[in-house]
Amino acid sequence: MSGPGVGWYLLVSAALFGTGALGVMLRRSPLIVLLSLEIMLNAANLALIAFARQLGDADGQVFALAVMAVAASEVAIGLGLIVAMARRDLPLDVDRASALRG
Amino acid sequence: MVAGAWFCLLAPLAGSLAIALAGQRISGRQAGWISTLTTFAAFAGATVSFLDLWAAEPERREELSTAYTWLAAGDLRVGLEILVDPLSAAMMLIVSGVGGLIVWYSMGYMAGDDEERRYFAYMSLFVFAMLLLVEAGNVLLLLVGWGLVGLASYLLIGFWHHRPQAVAAAKKAFVMNAAGDATFALAVVLLVWETGALDYPSVFADVGGLSDTVVTLVALGLLGGALAKSAQVPLHTWLPDAMEGPTPVSALIHAATMVTAGVYLLVRAHPVYEAAADVQHLAAVLGAVTLLLAGLVALVQWDIKRVIAYSTMSQIGYMFLAAGIGAYGVAIFHLMTHAFFKALLFLAAGVVIHRLAGEQDIRRMGGLRAELPRTHLAFLVGTAALAGLPPLAGFWSKDAILASALELGGGLGAALLAAGLLGTLLTGAYAFRLYFAVFHGERRELAPEPHGPEAAHVPEHGEGPLSMLVPVGVLTVLAAVGGLLSVPGLWHPFTHWVGEVAEPLVEASARQEYGTSAAAVALALLGLALARAAFLRGRELVALPAAWTLLERKLYFDELYDALFYRPAAALSALLRREVEEPVIERSLDGIGSGTVQVGGEVARVQSGLVRSYALTIAAAVLVLVVVFVAVR
Repeated sequence: MSGPGVGWYLLVSAALFGTGALGVMLRRSPLIVLLSLEIMLNAANLALIAFARQLGDADGQVFALAVMAVAASEVAIGLGLIVAMARRDLPLDVDRASALRG
Repeated sequence: MVAGAWFCLLAPLAGSLAIALAGQRISGRQAGWISTLTTFAAFAGATVSFLDLWAAEPERREELSTAYTWLAAGDLRVGLEILVDPLSAAMMLIVSGVGGLIVWYSMGYMAGDDEERRYFAYMSLFVFAMLLLVEAGNVLLLLVGWGLVGLASYLLIGFWHHRPQAVAAAKKAFVMNAAGDATFALAVVLLVWETGALDYPSVFADVGGLSDTVVTLVALGLLGGALAKSAQVPLHTWLPDAMEGPTPVSALIHAATMVTAGVYLLVRAHPVYEAAADVQHLAAVLGAVTLLLAGLVALVQWDIKRVIAYSTMSQIGYMFLAAGIGAYGVAIFHLMTHAFFKALLFLAAGVVIHRLAGEQDIRRMGGLRAELPRTHLAFLVGTAALAGLPPLAGFWSKDAILASALELGGGLGAALLAAGLLGTLLTGAYAFRLYFAVFHGERRELAPEPHGPEAAHVPEHGEGPLSMLVPVGVLTVLAAVGGLLSVPGLWHPFTHWVGEVAEPLVEASARQEYGTSAAAVALALLGLALARAAFLRGRELVALPAAWTLLERKLYFDELYDALFYRPAAALSALLRREVEEPVIERSLDGIGSGTVQVGGEVARVQSGLVRSYALTIAAAVLVLVVVFVAVR
């Protein structure tokens, strides 16, 4: 097996995860929050695949596929919510959307 | 002989069930016929059973019949079993015969009542309960009958449930009887514990082997039940109040069922009492106390039914006296004659009450002799029989009791005899006070508005329908000649008949009987003369106002029990409510509720709805976990 060791992959994965987490915690636009969540999920995917390659079995890769499916559904719902909020002229700010009733 | 007895037992039950299940499909009158005919069918069964018994050899006149075994545990067998012997046969005849006449009378008396069907279903149930009580072949079944009699009396005393007094009276009767039932049940438990059997023959055979303490306790427990059912001091206060029920119910309670149960029990359980002679004598003494006390209170009552009610207590006192000194046959004999003349008195009083549209106060009665000639005659016969004037029924039976007390001798016998003789004087006085007040003198104005429990009755023009007059007539004849079943010196078929079951401890000679009879009749006539003199002068027999008040308040027994039992219990309850219920139980429950609400309110603040702070919290928590895991490793 050639190429960089698993450590490098994990490093990139950690950097991506940190970026995503910071984005979720710091940004107020729901669109950006959603985007940051995707980054975090992909960071996890990267780690999964890296380990799968190191161990030489397909479990991690299968799991990464499942995560992608979940992420896609989540984005669909999330974007739907954002569109609905925009249509009702609600502020696109997660801090102000703090109650379940409109 | 058992077939007749089973039929006798089940016929009233079938009648009661038939009326209850038919509901609206039958009229009140049809219900009355069902009840009357089934009760008389029971009498026919009892007669068949009696005749079989009569034809049998004297030593074979006892048969235990088991319908099915309900419980079998080791040697203990309990089931639905009846005992047919001379005592139970005699009781069956009295209960179903007199009961049948009273139920028949009810058809006229209760005609037009809104709830006639319910009434007749209860009446049949009452007769069934009493028959079960007297026919029961084991102590447990006796207890069942005992309880059912209490239930039926509760239902019937409170029959007019729209009257608060009737409901209160029914409750009082039930509670008083429950006290007696409790001691009775404890005695039964003790008996099973000690003898391991429940049927009469084995229980009574084992009594000799028990320790004195146990026998005394059992006897006391049974006596408690007997005192409550028979309304003897100190558990007597329910009986006068029970007059709130319809008059035929009073007749049934006083004559055929209920109050005679205690006497029956004393005679039935005589081996227990003979083993505990002190308790037996206690029963006699309590009977003597009751007969005097009730006789005195009867002198000052204004309600026609209450006077008769107190006379019942007094007469049952005589029976307890007799049973307590071991004159069993005589006690049952008096029970029978008393059933005749007491049923007669109540039913005749019912005719009077009907005629006066529910009036029960004897101050508003008078001069009814001309208006109700047949009832007058019946009432006079009943009164004279009650007072024990020859040759009527009460004369033979009461004087036999007095003679037995004389035969007993000793201090106890002398005291009991004195009480009995004094009771005769009182009986003559209060019985004839009532008679004169109702039937002699001037006809009084009725109250403008009908009142009292039976106010719904329309005044009759004659003396009531045939269904009322025929039973009164039959009972008049029985009260007149019933005592001839036992004539001292000539024959004693009745007392011998019962004596086969319960060998008497004392047997008076003919000379003693005639001697006490002379004294008793003289005293009764003296009582009559006093009552007549007082009546003619328009005065009362009890002249002293203080004594009058004392007697009118029934010697303050109700107040005493109020102070002794009700008030402490009520005070204790109030105290527990104030000191335990409210501060401890209610507040702790409130605390659990409000505490949960408070904690919930605090926790709810965490849920701010701010997504970013959630994310931060999760991140921080994960960080902590990571640190912890790393550090712990």
